[in-house]
Amino acid sequence: MISLTSPVRTRAHGWPAGAKLLGLCVASVVLFAAPYLAFQIAAALAVWVAYALPGWLFFWYGVRRIWPLWPFVVLLLIWHLFTAGVGEGAVIALRMVTAVALANLVTMTTSLEAMMAVINRRLRPFARLGVNLRAIELAAAMVIRFTPVLAGKGTALSLAWRARSSRRAGWRVIVPFMVLALDDADHVAEALRARGGIGLDNKI
Amino acid sequence: MPSQTVLLSVDAVDLRIDGRDVLQGISYVSDVRRVAVLGRNGSGKTTLARVMAGLQPVTGGAVRIAGVDVAQDRRGALAAVGILFQNPDHQIIFPTVGEELSFGLKQMGLPKAEVAARVVQTLAQFGKTAWQDAAIHRLSQGQRQLVCLMAILAMAPKLIILDEPFAGLDIPTAMHLTRVLEATEAALVHITHDPRVIAGYDHALWIEGGRVEMQGPAAEVAAAFRQAMEQLGARDDLTHLSG
Amino acid sequence: MSTERNVAQIALFTALIAALGLIPQLTLAFGVPITAQSLGIMLCGTVLGARRGGLAALLFVALVALGLPLLSGGRGGLGLFSPSSPTVGFLVGFPVSAFCTGLITERLRRLPTAPAAGIAAVIGGICVLYAFGIVGMSVALERSLGEAALLVTAFIPGDMIKAVLAGLITAALYRARPDSVWSRA
Repeated sequence: MISLTSPVRTRAHGWPAGAKLLGLCVASVVLFAAPYLAFQIAAALAVWVAYALPGWLFFWYGVRRIWPLWPFVVLLLIWHLFTAGVGEGAVIALRMVTAVALANLVTMTTSLEAMMAVINRRLRPFARLGVNLRAIELAAAMVIRFTPVLAGKGTALSLAWRARSSRRAGWRVIVPFMVLALDDADHVAEALRARGGIGLDNKI
Repeated sequence: MPSQTVLLSVDAVDLRIDGRDVLQGISYVSDVRRVAVLGRNGSGKTTLARVMAGLQPVTGGAVRIAGVDVAQDRRGALAAVGILFQNPDHQIIFPTVGEELSFGLKQMGLPKAEVAARVVQTLAQFGKTAWQDAAIHRLSQGQRQLVCLMAILAMAPKLIILDEPFAGLDIPTAMHLTRVLEATEAALVHITHDPRVIAGYDHALWIEGGRVEMQGPAAEVAAAFRQAMEQLGARDDLTHLSG
Repeated sequence: MSTERNVAQIALFTALIAALGLIPQLTLAFGVPITAQSLGIMLCGTVLGARRGGLAALLFVALVALGLPLLSGGRGGLGLFSPSSPTVGFLVGFPVSAFCTGLITERLRRLPTAPAAGIAAVIGGICVLYAFGIVGMSVALERSLGEAALLVTAFIPGDMIKAVLAGLITAALYRARPDSVWSRA
């Protein structure tokens, strides 16, 4: 499965993931705490300069990721045109775009493994409370492994439907789809047990 | 064989599921390197494969492989028996080849460095060093079946159970995997409905309706099985074909 | 129930939610093409029950946050979880929604499967989810709760259809695989 990490290597790829996440939290709080138009414009410029530094490819990728927000930006501006004034609307819209873009920046420059490692460290104290870290790791790996498998099977089911129907596959196709997923779950559980299962590992 | 512990010992195995007898009184002791289990669809042969691998708890009897009770001692079973399923997608748990190969070794309790070394060594043995970080879903069915096989061989079990792993593979791929298997030191138990694929096997077991119909030298059992199947197939009545 | 089967079912349902967003859009009732992903969240609860269903939805949301493009349209990443993201409430609400849906399905055991799962999907999958979604939107857009609620009303009819489907699908699955529907076990 393709992750959302940018293939364009940036200097930020090398920074520790924990630090990046902490920085993101602080930045988000600051953006909320400072509802001044000048500050929000400056922050927005700073973020987009950061996007432009690694090159245009990276920049456009970032723009594409933020694009789904446009209806909200338009909505805010129109709303405020009739009520409190465009200035206030612009502050909220800018803050929204900046904060989301900044968070996307962390995702784009941090590998999935690095993120998982942070989660693993944060969860470790809870292991004693019965949180099974090994099971979480395994489940995450299985999701990555089986999402494309299931998507392929779902597409095949839709095709099988359409081969015998003039209409597009409807919701009824979801039932056999779920049966397939449940069958896969049983098979994987068996494959897991064939190689020692989950319980065994706790003793190591 | 000189060793006191036999390689494969199936002792009076009974299995009832939902009040239905799936396996009845299956006993089989063998020290040979190539065993075939023949049977039709629904004969119970796949269930027997799962029982032999210790995955399916039985109602009566026991299976020991190299002296390990595979249902009870799951850690011991890891080094004793591996199973190759028919569909590689039912077996591969991880998104990349390297992770998949490491998993079983980690489960055996090997230290990290040795796990990594064995993975590299196994991949090199098959000339697939480049596959280490390859995504499973980009591989073909045959390639995925090879990944399953490598994952098992890396764990070096004494016995490998093959549950019709070549059904659905094209002829060159099936031939390649057969060669790989022939070269392994592990003993093989090959579950199949096709008497042709077990040419060169030492011993065979024919399962019918959850019981042993016949056991003996592979060539004899295969010939009898083939004759019986051809007789059945000559009738044009599907009611004789069980699901 | 072995731990392995438990973990595998949770993982496969998480993959199922993701796959429902990846496969070409299904035409649901009345020829309206809608992504089936929020239907997947409802089904987590109605099929797997409160605990397993909630965990599957939690795993889904966590993996999206870590940067897997599992949301329909290949979306994902931390940007969606910024307090400024208007839809953050819905994502955070997914696990709670699946949990509540499962809990209600389990409690309504006396009803036949379809109405039990349908009612649970309306309460857990719509009421609970929208409560989270509306709060999130009100924070991100600095609107009052009422105004935020007004913004999401357009999506309620589609989700009502999905709740009905969740009931029908769960009932059909229960007929096909009674052992697999844990909310009824």
